[in-house]
Amino acid sequence: MSIEELAFLALAVVALVTAVAALLVRELVHTILWIGVFFVDLSAIYFLLEAPFLGVLQLGVYAGAVTVLLLFGIMVTRKRIFSREAATGIGAVPFALAAVTFIFAVAAVGELPQTSQPVRAYDPTLLSENLFGTNGPWLLLLGLIMMAAVAGSIYLVREGRE
Amino acid sequence: MALSFVVVGLAGTRMRRLEWGGWVAVAFSAAAMVVGVLIGIGEMVNPGTYTDVRYTWLHLAPAPGAFPNGFSLVVGTLVDPISALMLIVVTVVGFLVMLYSIGYMHQDRGLPRYYAELSLFLAAMSGLVLADNLLEFFVFWELVGVCSYFLIGFYYEKPSAASAAKEAFIVTRVGDIMFLLGIFLFFYNYATVGPVGSGGWAANGFLFTNGNAPYLGAALGTGNQTLLTVAGIMILGGAAGKSAQFPLHVWLPDAMEGPTTVSALIHAATMVAAGVYLLAVTSLFLGFTSTDQLAIVAIGGFTAFFAATMAVVHPDIKRVIAYSTISQLGYMVMAVGAGFAMVGLFHLFTHAFFKALLFLAAGSVIHAVGTQDLFKMGGLKKTMRLTAAAFAIGGLALAGIPPFAGFWSKDDILSAVYSQLGTHPDYWPFFLLAFVAVFLTAYYIFRAWFLAFSGDHPRDPTLPHAHEGPWVMRVPLVVLSALAVGAGLLIFVPGFQSLLLSGNGAAGIPPMYGTTDLLLSSASVALGAGGIALAWVLWGNGRVFVLSESSAAQPVRRLLLDRYYFKVGYDWVGAKGVYTVARAADFFDRFVIDGTVHGFERAFAYGSDRLRRIQSGVVSDYAAYVVAGLIALFVLLLIVAPYLVAKIGGG
Amino acid sequence: MTDLPIVGFVGLSTALLAVGLFGILTRRNFILILIAIEIAMNATILNFVYFGAFSGGAGGLSGQAIAVVLIGFAATEVAVGLAIVLALNRLKGTINVAQATDLKL
Repeated sequence: MSIEELAFLALAVVALVTAVAALLVRELVHTILWIGVFFVDLSAIYFLLEAPFLGVLQLGVYAGAVTVLLLFGIMVTRKRIFSREAATGIGAVPFALAAVTFIFAVAAVGELPQTSQPVRAYDPTLLSENLFGTNGPWLLLLGLIMMAAVAGSIYLVREGRE
Repeated sequence: MALSFVVVGLAGTRMRRLEWGGWVAVAFSAAAMVVGVLIGIGEMVNPGTYTDVRYTWLHLAPAPGAFPNGFSLVVGTLVDPISALMLIVVTVVGFLVMLYSIGYMHQDRGLPRYYAELSLFLAAMSGLVLADNLLEFFVFWELVGVCSYFLIGFYYEKPSAASAAKEAFIVTRVGDIMFLLGIFLFFYNYATVGPVGSGGWAANGFLFTNGNAPYLGAALGTGNQTLLTVAGIMILGGAAGKSAQFPLHVWLPDAMEGPTTVSALIHAATMVAAGVYLLAVTSLFLGFTSTDQLAIVAIGGFTAFFAATMAVVHPDIKRVIAYSTISQLGYMVMAVGAGFAMVGLFHLFTHAFFKALLFLAAGSVIHAVGTQDLFKMGGLKKTMRLTAAAFAIGGLALAGIPPFAGFWSKDDILSAVYSQLGTHPDYWPFFLLAFVAVFLTAYYIFRAWFLAFSGDHPRDPTLPHAHEGPWVMRVPLVVLSALAVGAGLLIFVPGFQSLLLSGNGAAGIPPMYGTTDLLLSSASVALGAGGIALAWVLWGNGRVFVLSESSAAQPVRRLLLDRYYFKVGYDWVGAKGVYTVARAADFFDRFVIDGTVHGFERAFAYGSDRLRRIQSGVVSDYAAYVVAGLIALFVLLLIVAPYLVAKIGGG
Repeated sequence: MTDLPIVGFVGLSTALLAVGLFGILTRRNFILILIAIEIAMNATILNFVYFGAFSGGAGGLSGQAIAVVLIGFAATEVAVGLAIVLALNRLKGTINVAQATDLKL
């Protein structure tokens, strides 16, 4: 195996472990920690895939803003957070569903070309060209949605609600 | 042109709801009478013309099999010899009864209803007579039945009246069902028959006539003979119901619960005559087989005798006359069965007049003394001379004494049947029964007369003092008396003769003046006289003939009085049979049908209860549903779809 | 640079998706549910990225571009989700979704 493959394998393992851990630990603040590691791990994967811009973005947005946001959320709803309500018993149905989904996807995977493909070199100019050109509309849409989200969130948390 | 008058006259006798509606109704029925008589005269002048005005109001597409050329529903009026004859009867008697009612019904409540119902009845009866096709005929037939229900049950607060009305309706209903079946059978048999190129009977609306001949023409009586015979029997059943022949006779005596005027109109002259008219129409336009004819003759003759026996002992004046009606109808039925429809109708014609006369005279008596029990009456000829005379005239006509009307027509019937005895020896017993009934007829009617009118004083001293009724009651009596005398003599009027002749088509009339017939006539007159004499012996001059208790005839008497226990029998059948069926039906309804409904209800409730648990309110659950749906979608898309494509494409 | 097995990547993102799904369906704490959603979203973003990386031509960079957009989306959604948490907390005094059953029939 090449070094990339090895690196990928390691990163993949870490990603899975941290994700599962985040969901299963008792204390809510601990999950934040695990989640933080997860995001960083993903960012590493992006770098591996010749998408450094994305990797940085991931770090900034996720590992940075989202984690902090979650922390804030926990802080504000402090009263209950340290209770034992974090987890529920493993329900058979949801677990089965998740398992089925996984199996499906694996089966689908079986249809993918087994061979590896070369990874392209990175060129930021081209990326921005693409982002604002071909995929420009998506970007605009994102902007709109963000606006709506901001407005909505402010409305949701306004003081008048009882 | 004359027909538009008909329509107007007919429509004129619709329901009236006014306080002084009596006179309005009388006016309209007078108009109708004028129209009717005019039409009748028109027919006599132009014998054998059939005028038909019709309108097809519904035409259904051809249905292969039964109705290959389609099916039409037609409404129209037909004026032909028989309908003209009947129309005269209906309108004249109708008018007279209306007039009489003004006086007779003076104190009764609910008068507007009475006149409305009576008018409706006249309209229905006229419609029946003028119907130009079988379906229209049936419609009016039913309408007449309904009206009789109303009128018999006029005093609806009297339980006996209400139940009598129901009885009448139900018994005639049995007949009606048979009639309907008969209609269907005729439809089936004759659906495509008819004049060349017309498409057949069904396609043209089941008309009676085409031009001046029966619509079915040469095809009359052809087709499946069994079918035809059964159809004929069914028709006979219907007629028997309406005309109160054995075994559907039970309703008529009880129908006397209605006002006497109603009895006069409906049960003497018109509605009961509808049955005979039906038989005549069927025999002329639809066709009876010889088996049918035998059946008809049998029923007619038997009933004639049978009813007369019951009239012999009855104490109620109206019921005596009622039985008389049944008996006379039997004669008419017999005549039609023998193939002489016009002769039967002639008797119907005369009978209408003298029977109505008898009823109205009886009504006059009842109005004066307030009772219907003959044994309470007596000596009325002193105080009610007109009524007594009227009743006597009616009685003589009934008994068949010349020169009164009944003689001519009844004798015609006897001659007619007699003439067929050669070719139909099985008619003999019925002929004899009818013949003997002549004696009985004379006897019972004069028994009634003597009981009511002869002697010096009423047997029951508490009876109010009798007097004649107002002029509205007397005039009809006089007119009818005249008719009772003269109607028979009409046979000598050439126009009338040709009317009768033409109506029968080629069937001819019985020889009336041959030697055999003179013998027959004399014999029947003798019988009649004998009957009167016997009545005088037993009941004349205020005598009352009381059968001693130990007499051997007592059981017979009781049998007769109880009407051969027919009523009891029918009641028992009705109670046990119908009630059982009703209970079974109720059980079925409650258990099966309601059970099914409740079952549905429970299934739904249960299902929905289970189903609603999906909405747990817990978000995670909903998310789970979403995922499940997604998976299903994937399965569908990725597995099922390609599979199907392969199947369909390859297969 | 060099070849990397596609299978592994797809397998990874699928597995992460399954984990995220599991979290959504089983956790009762609303914030945990949000985190689980994030895991799942990241799985998809990852998917986009390496499909973009593994396909040549015009599709290649689109993958990354879309991934950028998607990250934006995801972040937005977290923000809104937290707003909901706050509202819910204010309403019910808890962030236990099992107790937010007002829509129960």
